[in-house]
Amino acid sequence: MKSEPTPARFELQGGATLLLEEEHSLPLVSMTLALKSGSAHDPAGKEGASRLALRMLRRGAGELSSKEIEDAIDRLGAEVGTDVSPSGATVGAQVIRRNLDPFLDLLAKMLGAPSFPADEFGRLKRETVAEILESRDSDRALAQRAFRRSLFAGHLYGRSTTGTTATVEALVQDDARAAYDLHMRRGNLVLGLSGDVDETEAKRVAERILDAIPEGVGLADPIVEPEPKRGRRLVFVDKPERTQTQILIGTLGTSAFDADHVPLGVANAVFGGTFTSRLMREIRSKRGWSYGASARLATDRHRQSFSMWTFPASTDAAPCLRLEIELLEAFVEKGITPRELAFVRSYLTRSRAFDVDTASKRLHQALDVAALDLPADYHSSYVAKVKATTLEAANLAVKARIHPADLVIVVVGTAGSTLEGVRSAIDALEEVAVVPFDVE
Amino acid sequence: MPASDPHATLADKLSSRAPGGQRISYRGAQPFGDAKLRRYELENGLTILLLRDRSAPVAAYHTWFNVGSRHEKAGKTGLAHLFEHLMFNETESFKAGEFDKKLEESGAESNAATWVDWTFYHEALPKDRLPLAVRLESERMARLVLREPQVKSEKEVVANERRYRVDDDVEGASSELLYKTAFTRHPYHWPTIGWMEDIQGFTPEDCESFYRTYYAPNNAVVVVVGDFHEERLLGLIQKAYGAIPRAVIPPDDALPEPPQGDLREVTLKKPTPTEKLIIGYHGPALGDADHVPLTVLNELLFGGRASRLYRALVIDTETCIETRGWVSTFRDSGLYEMYGTARAGKTTGDILAILDREIARVTDDVASEDELGRAKARLELSLLQSLETMNGKAEQIGFFETVLGEPAAAFRRLEGYRRATASDLRKAARRYLAGQGRTLVRVLPESGA
Repeated sequence: MKSEPTPARFELQGGATLLLEEEHSLPLVSMTLALKSGSAHDPAGKEGASRLALRMLRRGAGELSSKEIEDAIDRLGAEVGTDVSPSGATVGAQVIRRNLDPFLDLLAKMLGAPSFPADEFGRLKRETVAEILESRDSDRALAQRAFRRSLFAGHLYGRSTTGTTATVEALVQDDARAAYDLHMRRGNLVLGLSGDVDETEAKRVAERILDAIPEGVGLADPIVEPEPKRGRRLVFVDKPERTQTQILIGTLGTSAFDADHVPLGVANAVFGGTFTSRLMREIRSKRGWSYGASARLATDRHRQSFSMWTFPASTDAAPCLRLEIELLEAFVEKGITPRELAFVRSYLTRSRAFDVDTASKRLHQALDVAALDLPADYHSSYVAKVKATTLEAANLAVKARIHPADLVIVVVGTAGSTLEGVRSAIDALEEVAVVPFDVE
Repeated sequence: MPASDPHATLADKLSSRAPGGQRISYRGAQPFGDAKLRRYELENGLTILLLRDRSAPVAAYHTWFNVGSRHEKAGKTGLAHLFEHLMFNETESFKAGEFDKKLEESGAESNAATWVDWTFYHEALPKDRLPLAVRLESERMARLVLREPQVKSEKEVVANERRYRVDDDVEGASSELLYKTAFTRHPYHWPTIGWMEDIQGFTPEDCESFYRTYYAPNNAVVVVVGDFHEERLLGLIQKAYGAIPRAVIPPDDALPEPPQGDLREVTLKKPTPTEKLIIGYHGPALGDADHVPLTVLNELLFGGRASRLYRALVIDTETCIETRGWVSTFRDSGLYEMYGTARAGKTTGDILAILDREIARVTDDVASEDELGRAKARLELSLLQSLETMNGKAEQIGFFETVLGEPAAAFRRLEGYRRATASDLRKAARRYLAGQGRTLVRVLPESGA
């Protein structure tokens, strides 16, 4: 097998890194500025500050007003977006090739000279509070929020990156400025470019962007290893008139640095990572109980979550939940079979082609490695690690990491008609909390 | 085309080896951006569109059928979509579940979609696995097995999909109500997923009859984008599909929708935190000349944070948390949809007043060149983004071939966007947005929610 193309890497002045993946078939240039720190740095009571700081970049910069920035982005055929997680953040942009230079001037100004105007800050806070309120329309988002809070209670992963209505309302301009000053420093950055741009231009782009950003070293990671929660806990999010439930069941998985990270991923693919996985077969194909059924492992510097997701009709919620727990118990107790391992190895190694089939995907893998300080071969050695995963290693990883006696179970549904059935479907349930859907 | 065209020669060579009735013809090439899109046709009517792309060792294999929910009858709504689910089940050569298993074992990604005018199935595969896609897709085009247990189970899955996308989803429910109210005769009246009672009533016989009517080579287009060997691929397709017989496809009998001269207004109560407003104006069909200027107008009104309605509703007055518009891309005249989510304390009436003010502006005045230029640049960016993957290219080709019979229409439309003038936009606005005929759906929070 030919080795995969990987982005070129350049170390730049001030401790920043440039990654470049050229692809000249379309006249598009993509840029991602990855910050190696994220919302975990938000001080207690100021959750949401980092996210707000990044969203303020387009609300005024240098002499430009928010409206002038938005007009310019559109005029140049460009897009700019930001994203924040507990461990990192990104500013992503894409522009039609012919407008690269004027766009660069604009982007450098946004990144290096945001003006944090008071009226725009107030407007953004009100917008954010309204978004938090509106997110109650999404049952899936309600389930994810409750799951994260319960699984990571007392840990930085348990906090909301967006913040709560109370923390957002309490933020002042100086909090956003402080968050900007904290994260936006050269030693804390990785810049990635992909698309219709060559090395000479890429270095010029990097220089222009980095010149605009203050010097400074990277930040220490404030996140400690999360501790597993003991026992089975049910959080029932009560919402009226649900014909369907959203169910998340889970515990901790692995960190990207754990030796059993890939073996657990291989086993999980058998259990709930493909269209023909055990969960899909038993829940959707055989019984028609849910449109989807899956299990996933989140990845970060520290142990993140293992979670199973289904959304059966309210009338099927209890038997579906019972079945899921039985399937999980069998998965942990008996592991996967040699045949399943052979199948999933083939799937994971061959489908790897779609993790690297565009310049943008190749770049983002390299950005992950650089921004999260993952082992340099985290992605490039993936296929070899999958091939080397033995049945014993996969099943040991499952046994070591997942304990069916210790589960967080979140159900979004209508308590009046569904709670009792759900409760009785879970053996050895230690704790039940019923939470109104509009509590936050 | 010249007699010496190598692709015509290739088709002749393949035809000379084929059994009777399985000839393949070369129908010419056309530009698709900087590349060439080649068209072939099997004797049984199967259209094959090929685009070489060597940017990655993968390929996209799409099969588009000219059948969607517009081809259903009242009382049998949702059949096209249910059928799409059933296509992943048993065939004469493959047991239930084997279809997906074989694809996944090969590292392929596979899925399907159904809408009002079409149904399509797609696989993205490592390039050396293209023969598997040819084998599986040809198999299920002609040799699907429909049994009671699979139909029963899949009906349950679709009922759950409906609960997820419509019944428990405010936006899904309000969109369904908009089309139900705005269309009274045309089949765009019913949702593609179908009414719940219809979904639950389907029998294997309904499914079998639908299959025999619409799943035939002369009602399908195969699109392949990727790094393939053209002769080998065509040879495989010819062998796999060549013997599948044509079907007599019933003529489209969708009743035309009479002009809507009146205001129709409906209210939906849901456990939702704030009010929502959806408006539908009857708009042009995708192939109508007006569709291009109206699309540019929509971008000017709703595209991005600098657009008129975003500024007016979200930024300046803080009436909405979100707003968007969309000119439906249907074969027949669809809707120009406008959507606004109010903030707490604001009402659908507040949204409507601002929308109406802005609609009056575009019917009265012409837009500035700068504003027009911004809308055009956004549309150009959006087209380029849709072409970043092989699947994206295959989807553009399959969609425009199926709806318009013009696989590279995306580029023709881009030229149209570039040529559109401020006066064209105003003309389109006057034609579609003036007058009383429109449908309003107001979503109101239930008390206590």
